[in-house]
Amino acid sequence: MDVTPRPAPPEVPARRGSGGRGPLMALALVALLAAVGFLLVKQVGSASLYFYNADEAVAKRSQLGDRRFRIQGTYEGTATDVAADTIRFAIVFGGEKVVIEHTGSEPALFQPGTAVVCEGRWSPDGRVFESDRIEVKHSEEYKAENPDRVDPAAP
Amino acid sequence: MNDGTSSPGTRVLGALTLIGMAVLLAFALVISPADETQEETVRMFYVHVPTALVAFGAFFLTVAASVGYLLRRSEGWDVMAGASAEVGAVLLAATLVSGMLWGRVTWGVYWTWDARLTLTALLFVLVLGYLAVRRLPLERERRSRLAAVVGLLLGPATVACHYATTWWRTLHQGPTITTADAKMDGTMLFTFFLGMVVFGLLYVWLLVHRFRVLWLEHRVEDLGLDEAIAERRREAVGVS
Repeated sequence: MDVTPRPAPPEVPARRGSGGRGPLMALALVALLAAVGFLLVKQVGSASLYFYNADEAVAKRSQLGDRRFRIQGTYEGTATDVAADTIRFAIVFGGEKVVIEHTGSEPALFQPGTAVVCEGRWSPDGRVFESDRIEVKHSEEYKAENPDRVDPAAP
Repeated sequence: MNDGTSSPGTRVLGALTLIGMAVLLAFALVISPADETQEETVRMFYVHVPTALVAFGAFFLTVAASVGYLLRRSEGWDVMAGASAEVGAVLLAATLVSGMLWGRVTWGVYWTWDARLTLTALLFVLVLGYLAVRRLPLERERRSRLAAVVGLLLGPATVACHYATTWWRTLHQGPTITTADAKMDGTMLFTFFLGMVVFGLLYVWLLVHRFRVLWLEHRVEDLGLDEAIAERRREAVGVS
Protein backbone atom coordinates (compact mmCIF):
# COMPACT_ATOMS: atom_id res chain seq x y z
CA MET A 1 0.00 0.00 0.00
CA ASP A 2 1.21 3.42 -0.92
CA VAL A 3 1.38 5.47 2.26
CA THR A 4 3.48 8.39 1.05
CA PRO A 5 1.55 11.53 1.86
CA ARG A 6 0.10 13.27 -1.11
CA PRO A 7 0.85 16.93 -1.61
CA ALA A 8 -2.04 19.07 -0.58
CA PRO A 9 -4.25 19.92 -3.53
CA PRO A 10 -3.91 23.49 -4.71
CA GLU A 11 -6.41 25.87 -3.21
CA VAL A 12 -9.42 25.95 -5.43
CA PRO A 13 -10.99 29.37 -5.30
CA ALA A 14 -14.58 29.09 -4.18
CA ARG A 15 -16.85 29.50 -7.16
CA ARG A 16 -20.19 30.51 -5.81
CA GLY A 17 -22.12 31.17 -9.00
CA SER A 18 -18.78 32.16 -10.63
CA GLY A 19 -18.81 35.54 -8.94
CA GLY A 20 -20.39 38.44 -10.71
CA ARG A 21 -19.45 37.32 -14.20
CA GLY A 22 -22.06 34.56 -14.46
CA PRO A 23 -25.07 36.66 -15.40
CA LEU A 24 -22.94 38.73 -17.77
CA MET A 25 -21.69 35.61 -19.53
CA ALA A 26 -25.20 34.23 -19.74
CA LEU A 27 -26.41 37.51 -21.20
CA ALA A 28 -23.60 37.51 -23.76
CA LEU A 29 -24.42 33.93 -24.68
CA VAL A 30 -28.09 34.74 -25.11
CA ALA A 31 -27.23 37.77 -27.26
CA LEU A 32 -24.89 35.69 -29.40
CA LEU A 33 -27.38 32.91 -29.86
CA ALA A 34 -30.15 35.39 -30.59
CA ALA A 35 -27.95 36.89 -33.31
CA VAL A 36 -27.27 33.47 -34.79
CA GLY A 37 -30.98 32.71 -34.65
CA PHE A 38 -31.82 36.00 -36.32
CA LEU A 39 -29.35 35.35 -39.14
CA LEU A 40 -30.68 31.84 -39.61
CA VAL A 41 -34.28 33.02 -39.80
CA LYS A 42 -33.24 35.75 -42.24
CA GLN A 43 -31.36 33.18 -44.27
CA VAL A 44 -34.31 30.84 -44.27
CA GLY A 45 -36.44 33.84 -45.17
CA SER A 46 -34.44 34.64 -48.29
CA ALA A 47 -34.15 30.98 -49.19
CA SER A 48 -37.85 30.79 -48.48
CA LEU A 49 -38.62 31.70 -52.06
CA TYR A 50 -38.60 28.02 -52.77
CA PHE A 51 -40.28 28.53 -56.13
CA TYR A 52 -41.65 31.20 -58.43
CA ASN A 53 -45.21 30.72 -59.54
CA ALA A 54 -45.53 30.39 -63.32
CA ASP A 55 -46.86 33.95 -63.76
CA GLU A 56 -44.01 35.42 -61.66
CA ALA A 57 -41.39 33.46 -63.60
CA VAL A 58 -42.81 34.79 -66.87
CA ALA A 59 -42.83 38.36 -65.55
CA LYS A 60 -39.22 38.03 -64.38
CA ARG A 61 -38.00 36.15 -67.45
CA SER A 62 -35.36 38.69 -68.52
CA GLN A 63 -34.26 39.23 -64.93
CA LEU A 64 -33.86 35.50 -64.30
CA GLY A 65 -31.79 35.01 -67.47
CA ASP A 66 -30.12 31.61 -67.35
CA ARG A 67 -30.26 31.39 -63.56
CA ARG A 68 -31.39 28.10 -62.06
CA PHE A 69 -34.64 28.31 -60.09
CA ARG A 70 -37.85 26.44 -59.34
CA ILE A 71 -41.17 27.11 -61.02
CA GLN A 72 -44.58 26.06 -59.75
CA GLY A 73 -47.89 25.53 -61.49
CA THR A 74 -50.63 23.04 -62.20
CA TYR A 75 -49.82 20.41 -64.77
CA GLU A 76 -52.40 20.65 -67.55
CA GLY A 77 -53.15 18.57 -70.60
CA THR A 78 -50.93 15.60 -71.35
CA ALA A 79 -47.21 15.26 -71.74
CA THR A 80 -45.68 14.42 -75.11
CA ASP A 81 -42.37 12.73 -75.76
CA VAL A 82 -39.90 14.95 -77.57
CA ALA A 83 -36.80 12.80 -77.13
CA ALA A 84 -35.85 9.49 -75.59
CA ASP A 85 -35.62 10.89 -72.07
CA THR A 86 -37.42 14.20 -72.51
CA ILE A 87 -41.10 15.07 -72.20
CA ARG A 88 -42.94 18.31 -72.91
CA PHE A 89 -45.94 19.48 -70.93
CA ALA A 90 -47.55 22.71 -69.78
CA ILE A 91 -48.08 24.17 -66.32
CA VAL A 92 -50.49 26.97 -65.52
CA PHE A 93 -50.58 29.45 -62.69
CA GLY A 94 -52.12 32.91 -62.33
CA GLY A 95 -53.37 32.85 -65.92
CA GLU A 96 -49.91 32.19 -67.38
CA LYS A 97 -49.02 29.02 -69.19
CA VAL A 98 -45.41 27.81 -69.27
CA VAL A 99 -44.17 24.99 -71.45
CA ILE A 100 -41.78 22.68 -69.63
CA GLU A 101 -39.26 20.43 -71.30
CA HIS A 102 -38.25 17.92 -68.68
CA THR A 103 -35.33 15.55 -68.97
CA GLY A 104 -35.16 12.69 -66.48
CA SER A 105 -37.67 10.71 -64.49
CA GLU A 106 -40.99 11.83 -63.06
CA PRO A 107 -42.43 11.10 -59.62
CA ALA A 108 -45.17 8.48 -59.36
CA LEU A 109 -47.86 11.03 -58.53
CA PHE A 110 -47.03 13.16 -61.58
CA GLN A 111 -50.35 13.41 -63.38
CA PRO A 112 -52.54 16.09 -64.94
CA GLY A 113 -54.26 18.33 -62.43
CA THR A 114 -51.53 18.16 -59.75
CA ALA A 115 -49.38 21.10 -58.69
CA VAL A 116 -45.76 20.50 -59.59
CA VAL A 117 -42.48 22.23 -58.85
CA CYS A 118 -39.89 21.97 -61.64
CA GLU A 119 -36.23 22.85 -61.17
CA GLY A 120 -34.16 24.20 -64.04
CA ARG A 121 -33.82 27.36 -66.14
CA TRP A 122 -35.34 29.26 -69.04
CA SER A 123 -34.09 28.05 -72.42
CA PRO A 124 -31.74 30.54 -74.15
CA ASP A 125 -34.59 31.82 -76.32
CA GLY A 126 -36.88 31.97 -73.28
CA ARG A 127 -39.68 29.97 -74.89
CA VAL A 128 -39.59 26.88 -72.70
CA PHE A 129 -38.45 26.05 -69.20
CA GLU A 130 -35.80 23.33 -69.23
CA SER A 131 -36.28 21.17 -66.15
CA ASP A 132 -34.32 18.24 -64.80
CA ARG A 133 -36.18 17.67 -61.56
CA ILE A 134 -39.90 17.49 -60.86
CA GLU A 135 -41.40 17.50 -57.40
CA VAL A 136 -45.11 16.92 -56.91
CA LYS A 137 -46.58 19.46 -54.51
CA HIS A 138 -49.48 17.51 -53.16
CA SER A 139 -52.32 19.21 -51.34
CA GLU A 140 -53.11 19.03 -47.63
CA GLU A 141 -56.54 17.56 -48.35
CA TYR A 142 -57.24 13.91 -47.85
CA LYS A 143 -60.27 12.14 -49.23
CA ALA A 144 -61.16 8.49 -49.02
CA GLU A 145 -60.98 6.66 -52.29
CA ASN A 146 -64.47 6.25 -53.67
CA PRO A 147 -65.84 3.36 -51.61
CA ASP A 148 -68.30 2.42 -54.38
CA ARG A 149 -65.52 2.01 -56.87
CA VAL A 150 -65.39 -1.52 -58.22
CA ASP A 151 -61.89 -2.92 -58.16
CA PRO A 152 -61.17 -3.87 -61.77
CA ALA A 153 -58.84 -6.59 -60.56
CA ALA A 154 -61.65 -8.29 -58.65
CA PRO A 155 -62.97 -11.45 -60.26
CA MET B 1 -37.02 -2.04 -3.33
CA ASN B 2 -37.87 -1.54 -6.96
CA ASP B 3 -35.34 -2.78 -9.51
CA GLY B 4 -36.34 -0.43 -12.30
CA THR B 5 -37.94 2.92 -12.80
CA SER B 6 -41.45 1.51 -13.14
CA SER B 7 -44.29 1.94 -10.71
CA PRO B 8 -47.93 0.78 -10.83
CA GLY B 9 -48.80 4.02 -12.61
CA THR B 10 -46.22 3.62 -15.37
CA ARG B 11 -47.15 -0.04 -15.83
CA VAL B 12 -50.75 0.96 -16.49
CA LEU B 13 -49.54 3.74 -18.78
CA GLY B 14 -47.26 1.34 -20.62
CA ALA B 15 -50.01 -1.22 -21.08
CA LEU B 16 -52.39 1.46 -22.37
CA THR B 17 -49.72 2.70 -24.79
CA LEU B 18 -49.02 -0.75 -26.20
CA ILE B 19 -52.72 -1.57 -26.58
CA GLY B 20 -53.24 1.84 -28.17
CA MET B 21 -50.37 1.19 -30.61
CA ALA B 22 -51.99 -2.08 -31.69
CA VAL B 23 -55.36 -0.36 -32.25
CA LEU B 24 -53.63 2.50 -34.08
CA LEU B 25 -51.86 0.03 -36.35
CA ALA B 26 -55.19 -1.62 -37.17
CA PHE B 27 -56.79 1.73 -37.99
CA ALA B 28 -53.81 3.16 -39.84
CA LEU B 29 -53.02 0.11 -41.95
CA VAL B 30 -56.36 -1.66 -42.39
CA ILE B 31 -59.50 0.16 -41.30
CA SER B 32 -58.83 3.68 -42.62
CA PRO B 33 -59.27 4.11 -46.37
CA ALA B 34 -56.62 4.88 -48.97
CA ASP B 35 -56.48 8.45 -50.25
CA GLU B 36 -57.97 9.51 -53.58
CA THR B 37 -54.71 10.87 -54.97
CA GLN B 38 -52.00 9.59 -52.60
CA GLU B 39 -53.50 6.13 -52.29
CA GLU B 40 -51.80 3.93 -49.66
CA THR B 41 -49.00 6.39 -48.90
CA VAL B 42 -51.43 8.56 -46.94
CA ARG B 43 -50.98 6.08 -44.08
CA MET B 44 -47.66 7.79 -43.31
CA PHE B 45 -49.76 10.70 -42.05
CA TYR B 46 -50.78 8.79 -38.92
CA VAL B 47 -47.16 8.51 -37.76
CA HIS B 48 -45.62 11.58 -39.34
CA VAL B 49 -48.00 14.25 -38.04
CA PRO B 50 -48.65 12.93 -34.49
CA THR B 51 -44.92 12.37 -33.81
CA ALA B 52 -44.18 15.90 -35.06
CA LEU B 53 -46.89 17.54 -32.96
CA VAL B 54 -46.06 15.57 -29.82
CA ALA B 55 -42.36 16.39 -30.32
CA PHE B 56 -43.28 20.09 -30.57
CA GLY B 57 -45.23 19.72 -27.32
CA ALA B 58 -42.23 18.01 -25.72
CA PHE B 59 -39.96 20.93 -26.68
CA PHE B 60 -42.43 23.40 -25.21
CA LEU B 61 -42.30 21.47 -21.94
CA THR B 62 -38.50 21.73 -22.10
CA VAL B 63 -38.82 25.50 -22.55
CA ALA B 64 -41.31 25.78 -19.68
CA ALA B 65 -39.16 23.61 -17.40
CA SER B 66 -36.06 25.63 -18.36
CA VAL B 67 -37.86 28.82 -17.34
CA GLY B 68 -38.91 27.03 -14.15
CA TYR B 69 -35.30 26.10 -13.45
CA LEU B 70 -33.97 29.59 -14.11
CA LEU B 71 -36.56 31.05 -11.72
CA ARG B 72 -36.51 28.42 -8.98
CA ARG B 73 -33.17 26.62 -9.44
CA SER B 74 -34.81 23.35 -8.43
CA GLU B 75 -33.43 20.06 -9.65
CA GLY B 76 -36.87 18.75 -10.66
CA TRP B 77 -37.31 21.39 -13.35
CA ASP B 78 -33.83 20.72 -14.71
CA VAL B 79 -34.42 16.97 -14.93
CA MET B 80 -37.87 17.51 -16.44
CA ALA B 81 -36.43 19.75 -19.18
CA GLY B 82 -33.78 17.17 -20.08
CA ALA B 83 -36.16 14.20 -20.05
CA SER B 84 -38.71 15.95 -22.26
CA ALA B 85 -36.07 17.01 -24.80
CA GLU B 86 -34.73 13.44 -25.00
CA VAL B 87 -38.12 11.93 -25.77
CA GLY B 88 -38.93 14.81 -28.11
CA ALA B 89 -35.70 14.17 -30.04
CA VAL B 90 -36.67 10.54 -30.57
CA LEU B 91 -40.14 11.53 -31.77
CA LEU B 92 -38.72 14.19 -34.10
CA ALA B 93 -36.34 11.60 -35.55
CA ALA B 94 -39.41 9.45 -36.31
CA THR B 95 -41.01 12.48 -37.96
CA LEU B 96 -37.96 13.02 -40.15
CA VAL B 97 -37.64 9.38 -41.19
CA SER B 98 -41.36 8.95 -41.93
CA GLY B 99 -41.40 12.29 -43.75
CA MET B 100 -38.46 11.33 -45.95
CA LEU B 101 -40.07 8.03 -46.94
CA TRP B 102 -43.39 9.76 -47.58
CA GLY B 103 -41.68 12.53 -49.55
CA ARG B 104 -39.92 10.02 -51.78
CA VAL B 105 -43.18 8.43 -52.91
CA THR B 106 -45.32 11.57 -53.16
CA TRP B 107 -42.98 14.48 -54.01
CA GLY B 108 -40.45 12.27 -55.73
CA VAL B 109 -37.55 13.25 -53.45
CA TYR B 110 -36.38 12.20 -49.99
CA TRP B 111 -35.24 15.66 -49.04
CA THR B 112 -35.32 19.22 -50.27
CA TRP B 113 -34.25 22.44 -48.61
CA ASP B 114 -37.57 24.22 -48.35
CA ALA B 115 -38.33 26.31 -45.27
CA ARG B 116 -40.21 23.55 -43.40
CA LEU B 117 -37.59 20.86 -43.95
CA THR B 118 -34.69 23.23 -43.28
CA LEU B 119 -36.21 24.40 -40.01
CA THR B 120 -37.00 20.84 -38.93
CA ALA B 121 -33.38 19.86 -39.54
CA LEU B 122 -32.29 22.94 -37.59
CA LEU B 123 -34.62 22.07 -34.71
CA PHE B 124 -33.30 18.51 -34.61
CA VAL B 125 -29.67 19.68 -34.52
CA LEU B 126 -30.57 22.22 -31.84
CA VAL B 127 -32.11 19.52 -29.64
CA LEU B 128 -29.06 17.30 -30.07
CA GLY B 129 -26.91 20.30 -29.14
CA TYR B 130 -29.04 20.90 -26.07
CA LEU B 131 -28.65 17.26 -25.02
CA ALA B 132 -24.88 17.56 -25.59
CA VAL B 133 -24.75 20.62 -23.31
CA ARG B 134 -26.48 18.55 -20.63
CA ARG B 135 -23.54 16.12 -20.76
CA LEU B 136 -20.80 18.74 -20.42
CA PRO B 137 -18.38 17.84 -17.63
CA LEU B 138 -19.23 20.87 -15.50
CA GLU B 139 -20.31 21.44 -11.96
CA ARG B 140 -23.98 20.46 -11.99
CA GLU B 141 -25.40 23.85 -11.13
CA ARG B 142 -23.47 25.58 -13.92
CA ARG B 143 -24.32 22.86 -16.41
CA SER B 144 -28.01 23.03 -15.55
CA ARG B 145 -28.04 26.81 -15.89
CA LEU B 146 -26.29 26.68 -19.26
CA ALA B 147 -28.64 23.94 -20.45
CA ALA B 148 -31.67 25.96 -19.35
CA VAL B 149 -30.51 28.96 -21.38
CA VAL B 150 -29.91 26.80 -24.47
CA GLY B 151 -33.22 25.07 -23.81
CA LEU B 152 -35.05 28.37 -24.17
CA LEU B 153 -33.98 28.49 -27.83
CA LEU B 154 -36.17 25.48 -28.55
CA GLY B 155 -39.18 27.77 -28.16
CA PRO B 156 -38.67 30.09 -31.15
CA ALA B 157 -37.19 27.22 -33.21
CA THR B 158 -40.29 25.10 -32.63
CA VAL B 159 -42.68 27.94 -33.42
CA ALA B 160 -40.81 28.81 -36.65
CA CYS B 161 -40.78 25.15 -37.67
CA HIS B 162 -44.49 24.76 -37.00
CA TYR B 163 -45.53 27.86 -38.95
CA ALA B 164 -42.97 27.45 -41.77
CA THR B 165 -45.58 26.30 -44.29
CA THR B 166 -47.78 29.30 -43.47
CA TRP B 167 -45.05 31.94 -43.35
CA TRP B 168 -43.07 30.81 -46.38
CA ARG B 169 -43.58 29.13 -49.72
CA THR B 170 -42.72 25.49 -49.31
CA LEU B 171 -42.92 22.20 -51.13
CA HIS B 172 -44.31 20.78 -47.91
CA GLN B 173 -48.09 21.04 -47.80
CA GLY B 174 -49.85 23.39 -45.40
CA PRO B 175 -51.73 22.37 -42.26
CA THR B 176 -54.53 19.84 -42.73
CA ILE B 177 -55.93 20.04 -39.24
CA THR B 178 -56.94 23.61 -38.49
CA THR B 179 -59.45 24.84 -35.97
CA ALA B 180 -62.08 25.74 -38.56
CA ASP B 181 -62.46 22.55 -40.52
CA ALA B 182 -60.18 19.64 -41.13
CA LYS B 183 -59.49 18.80 -44.74
CA MET B 184 -59.76 15.12 -44.05
CA ASP B 185 -62.46 12.48 -44.25
CA GLY B 186 -64.05 10.98 -41.12
CA THR B 187 -62.22 7.69 -40.53
CA MET B 188 -58.92 9.27 -41.57
CA LEU B 189 -59.47 12.12 -39.14
CA PHE B 190 -60.35 9.70 -36.34
CA THR B 191 -57.20 7.67 -37.05
CA PHE B 192 -55.15 10.85 -36.85
CA PHE B 193 -56.67 11.79 -33.46
CA LEU B 194 -56.07 8.25 -32.25
CA GLY B 195 -52.45 8.67 -33.35
CA MET B 196 -52.23 11.88 -31.31
CA VAL B 197 -53.55 10.12 -28.20
CA VAL B 198 -51.32 7.06 -28.60
CA PHE B 199 -48.12 9.00 -29.31
CA GLY B 200 -49.10 11.35 -26.48
CA LEU B 201 -49.33 8.37 -24.12
CA LEU B 202 -46.02 7.02 -25.42
CA TYR B 203 -44.42 10.39 -24.75
CA VAL B 204 -45.74 10.61 -21.17
CA TRP B 205 -44.75 7.01 -20.46
CA LEU B 206 -41.18 7.49 -21.72
CA LEU B 207 -40.98 10.92 -20.07
CA VAL B 208 -41.73 9.50 -16.59
CA HIS B 209 -39.11 6.78 -17.04
CA ARG B 210 -36.46 9.15 -18.38
CA PHE B 211 -37.22 11.61 -15.56
CA ARG B 212 -36.58 8.87 -13.00
CA VAL B 213 -33.42 7.65 -14.73
CA LEU B 214 -31.95 11.17 -14.94
CA TRP B 215 -32.88 11.77 -11.30
CA LEU B 216 -31.05 8.58 -10.32
CA GLU B 217 -28.05 9.64 -12.43
CA HIS B 218 -27.88 12.80 -10.33
CA ARG B 219 -27.98 10.68 -7.17
CA VAL B 220 -25.10 8.56 -8.48
CA GLU B 221 -23.21 11.77 -9.20
CA ASP B 222 -23.86 12.89 -5.60
CA LEU B 223 -22.68 9.54 -4.24
CA GLY B 224 -19.46 9.87 -6.23
CA LEU B 225 -18.89 13.30 -4.73
CA ASP B 226 -19.68 12.12 -1.18
CA GLU B 227 -17.35 9.18 -1.67
CA ALA B 228 -14.52 11.44 -2.87
CA ILE B 229 -14.95 13.69 0.17
CA ALA B 230 -15.05 10.72 2.53
CA GLU B 231 -11.88 9.33 0.96
CA ARG B 232 -10.04 12.63 1.44
CA ARG B 233 -11.20 12.69 5.07
CA ARG B 234 -9.87 9.18 5.68
CA GLU B 235 -6.56 10.17 4.13
CA ALA B 236 -6.38 13.26 6.31
CA VAL B 237 -7.00 11.15 9.41
CA GLY B 238 -4.38 8.64 8.28
CA VAL B 239 -1.73 11.31 7.75
CA SER B 240 -2.12 13.09 11.08
